[in-house]
Amino acid sequence: MDTETLIIESAERIFSDHVDKALLDKCEQGAFAEALWQQIVDQGFHLLGSPDSGTEAADLFAFLKICGRFAVPLPMAEVLLANRWMAAKDSVLRSIGIQHNGGVIDIAWSSHAEWILAVSPDSRIVELHPGQAAQEGLANLAGEPRGSIAPPALVQGMLEVEDAPYAQLALARTCLMAGTLQAVLDLGLQFASERRQFGRTISKFQAIQHSLAVVAAEVAAAQRAADAGIDALSSERFLYEVAAAKARVGEAVGIVAEQVHQVHGAMGFTYEHRLHHFTRRLWAWRDEWGSEFYWQQILGQQFAALGADRAWDFIATKG
Amino acid sequence: MFQFDRVALSDETQDLRAQVRAFIDENRAYLPRPNSDFVTGHDPEFSQKLGERGWIGMTWPAQYGGGERSNFERLVVTEELLSAGAPVSAHWIADRQSGPLLLRFGTPEQRQRYLPGIIRGERFFSIGMSEPDTGSDLASVRTSATAEGDAYRINGTKVWTTDAHRNHFIICLVRTAAQTENRHAGLSQIIVDLKNDGVKIRPIRNMAGGEDFNEVVFEDVLVPKNRIVGEPGNGWQQVTSELAYERSGPERFLSAYRVFAELIRLCGDSPAPHQAAAIGRLAGHFMTLRRMSLSVAGMLEAGKDVVVEAALVKELGNNFEKLVPEVARLAVPDIAHTDAAALGLFRQTFDETMLLSPSFTLRGGTREILRGVIARSLGLR
Repeated sequence: MDTETLIIESAERIFSDHVDKALLDKCEQGAFAEALWQQIVDQGFHLLGSPDSGTEAADLFAFLKICGRFAVPLPMAEVLLANRWMAAKDSVLRSIGIQHNGGVIDIAWSSHAEWILAVSPDSRIVELHPGQAAQEGLANLAGEPRGSIAPPALVQGMLEVEDAPYAQLALARTCLMAGTLQAVLDLGLQFASERRQFGRTISKFQAIQHSLAVVAAEVAAAQRAADAGIDALSSERFLYEVAAAKARVGEAVGIVAEQVHQVHGAMGFTYEHRLHHFTRRLWAWRDEWGSEFYWQQILGQQFAALGADRAWDFIATKG
Repeated sequence: MFQFDRVALSDETQDLRAQVRAFIDENRAYLPRPNSDFVTGHDPEFSQKLGERGWIGMTWPAQYGGGERSNFERLVVTEELLSAGAPVSAHWIADRQSGPLLLRFGTPEQRQRYLPGIIRGERFFSIGMSEPDTGSDLASVRTSATAEGDAYRINGTKVWTTDAHRNHFIICLVRTAAQTENRHAGLSQIIVDLKNDGVKIRPIRNMAGGEDFNEVVFEDVLVPKNRIVGEPGNGWQQVTSELAYERSGPERFLSAYRVFAELIRLCGDSPAPHQAAAIGRLAGHFMTLRRMSLSVAGMLEAGKDVVVEAALVKELGNNFEKLVPEVARLAVPDIAHTDAAALGLFRQTFDETMLLSPSFTLRGGTREILRGVIARSLGLR
């Protein structure tokens, strides 16, 4: 068995034991998933992809797909990327936000972070900030905590990252979404095969079958797009492959969330049902670290620069 | 759930890509088509040139003249030709599905008789599936083949038969035994020479003004018994596997490629933000669909059954082909009131693709049938 399969299997085991509706509800109320974090640290998952960890960056992103599938209520994308960039070996919680007018905004789980890294869309230089300066208070559409550091933020160091850091975060969101999309498809299939109306399960109705077929196709495309982003790490195409992946997966989110909610009817609109923990994350993540429009522009400018007659070559060069 | 594995093309395969591009460059006179749709250019001369290069029947055994090359190499050739808008429809069906069908189910005599001509780009095939009363419900076909001594007597009508008026042969799905409880039983596939007595072909004009598909009427057409493909009665299984070839290829998302290319040309090297986003949106779809189609080639190469994956790629690809003109028209300035000359080739490719677009989700299996195939694999039916 290869490393990636081992990681995936043990992550699946831990998440199925520890991540459930009750935990997701509690975390949305402001609790920190302490026991889950401890499990992650014990397994060394928080250092996946870090130098000296014996794992690759690709393992990190494959792990994020699993995190997405379980809606893991911790800032795993930020933790993993920050640890990788800082070559961390410890179990300190590091998070990431965006540089903004001399401050830092949209820091995931800011009040739990001992270090905060701040990135900007067009720079490879990442700023380091002490976590204590951060404030809590905001949350994204999924209720995941987002804090900030008011300007002027004290920069305690800088580091340079090889693959564009903003794009790495976008790829991280892409992988999380790819995993969550799979979970949402599974929820839709399960609900359709259990819910009975007109004397039979609603899965027997062609309208429902076709909705879920569309969802399955979008989910398949999302997986392939995300994998292409992972494969482009450390290559000159990285920015553009991430652009294609984040935009394509973001488009899938709109279709999948809409269809699977419709299949669930009013049940899926209740807070009591777990579906919203997944769909709200999808809606939040497709906007974070660049929406479809942002990344489509980046990719479109690249194609415009190539010109009509070299466009196909760019599409077909990489398997 | 559905696994579309990563595929890395070998250097050899990429070299082949360069050869195809050089060939296209040398044969610019045959190009460009306004559209990259595979039904828009029937050119026997061009097909023969491809045959000379060994680019038809590429994966087939050498004993019939085939190239014994991989499905990846075949994909590279087909995607290069389509994206350039090359006129490939003459040999397309024979190369894509008639040949593979004969290799899988045909007799040695049939292979010897038909494959070398296909490979040379000289013998072209059509598909006889739909009928006036048989569309998506393919098992309801009524065209009959009745055994009479050494021959079958064929009566019935096929419709939407692409290029029947230009091609040499048709492989028809016919009823060789009366319908029973099992609707899929009693069906067979048979090769008919389109020049046979009793075959009447009438082109049907489509809404784009083209005459590519036809009505083909069979009146007491006598065909030697040895033209049956595979076991009599096994037609349904054969057709199902044949349709996977028909559904999985890059033609299922490249029909609108020229619109995309001309959109890039029209927007120039400093597009407005909404133009860049439109181009980028389409580009991201192309990149993903192409990789999925490469994964399917990998599954074919490994001898796997691709029925469901083919349906998925066709579903996504067809939706996308229809999205291309929708996105493109809103990205160009005032499409209705701009001088045609200023819009260049964009106008022509856009118009043709727009008019052909209703067919994208019909041919090769309707969207509704494909979604049914996907739903079945999800355990919903």
